[in-house]
Amino acid sequence: MKKKGFIVLIVILVMIAAGAFFSYGYLYKDVRNISSEDASFKVPASKLISEYAGNQQKADAAYLNKTVEITGKVTQVTDSVLTVDSQVFCGFDVKPDAGSINKNVTIKGRVIGFDELFGEVKLDQCTITTKE
Amino acid sequence: MKNLRFIIVVIILMIYNCMFAQKYGTKTGNIKFEATVPSFEEVAGESKTTSAALDATTGDFAALALMKGFRFKVALMEEHFNENYVESDKYPKATFKGKVEGLDVSKLTADAKTYTVTGDLTLHGKTKKISDAAKVSKSGNTITITGAFEVKPGDFAIEIPSVVSKKVADKISVTYSFQLVKP
Repeated sequence: MKKKGFIVLIVILVMIAAGAFFSYGYLYKDVRNISSEDASFKVPASKLISEYAGNQQKADAAYLNKTVEITGKVTQVTDSVLTVDSQVFCGFDVKPDAGSINKNVTIKGRVIGFDELFGEVKLDQCTITTKE
Repeated sequence: MKNLRFIIVVIILMIYNCMFAQKYGTKTGNIKFEATVPSFEEVAGESKTTSAALDATTGDFAALALMKGFRFKVALMEEHFNENYVESDKYPKATFKGKVEGLDVSKLTADAKTYTVTGDLTLHGKTKKISDAAKVSKSGNTITITGAFEVKPGDFAIEIPSVVSKKVADKISVTYSFQLVKP
């Protein structure tokens, strides 16, 4: 009888521990790691631009908060930002290679929306996947 | 005579340049907001990808922050912010359109001066008039504007559920910093 009570106690303790572990995992789950996610879309930068220029809401519905891979030519490098095809802003968490100017690249990042002030599509948490 | 004409053309060009080449901008402005209640977990988000433009002749100032660009330390907080509070799928951006009152670029120095910035802040589909004291300085080709103001979630029709309302401050303090350069 004593033994049975002991087992029940162990089972309860294990359940509590598991519950705590999972709820902790839920509350403190890791933030997204865009660089290790598979891209939902692989598009030329020019296509992303024309879709946003054509219908912003429709483009937002398709791309917003999604991981995408864009290809195009790097037209500007400033500190932690690469601009692709003059109109796609790619923000990097780690400073990108400044030598990629005028090169054709594929960049993976998360679409955060369209910036009307400068007429640009903005991506953050970018990484360069391939460079010519 | 020919020389004089040349000088006049140069002067006209210079005036033209002064009048129209006075737009300053940034695409990597910083906005932080904090709604932490003492002794509870930090509630704070930061955007490092805010765009802003300043017309130095008129003082007109505009800023645009993409809501998805706000990052949090805790993933679940970011999720709640986007899905429950600002509804960033429906309202993907926050904008500010206003004016730096009495801005005179020629008087700006590296030492920051205080100016009043007033304008309309729009987010979550609601607009509110904001006024705050901003510090403005200029060194070389860069105008730096920093400041802070407070807003209430209720001003923008954002409801904080009673379950978490104790952990989220009633007043949210927002700080901003823009380093605007002449393109």
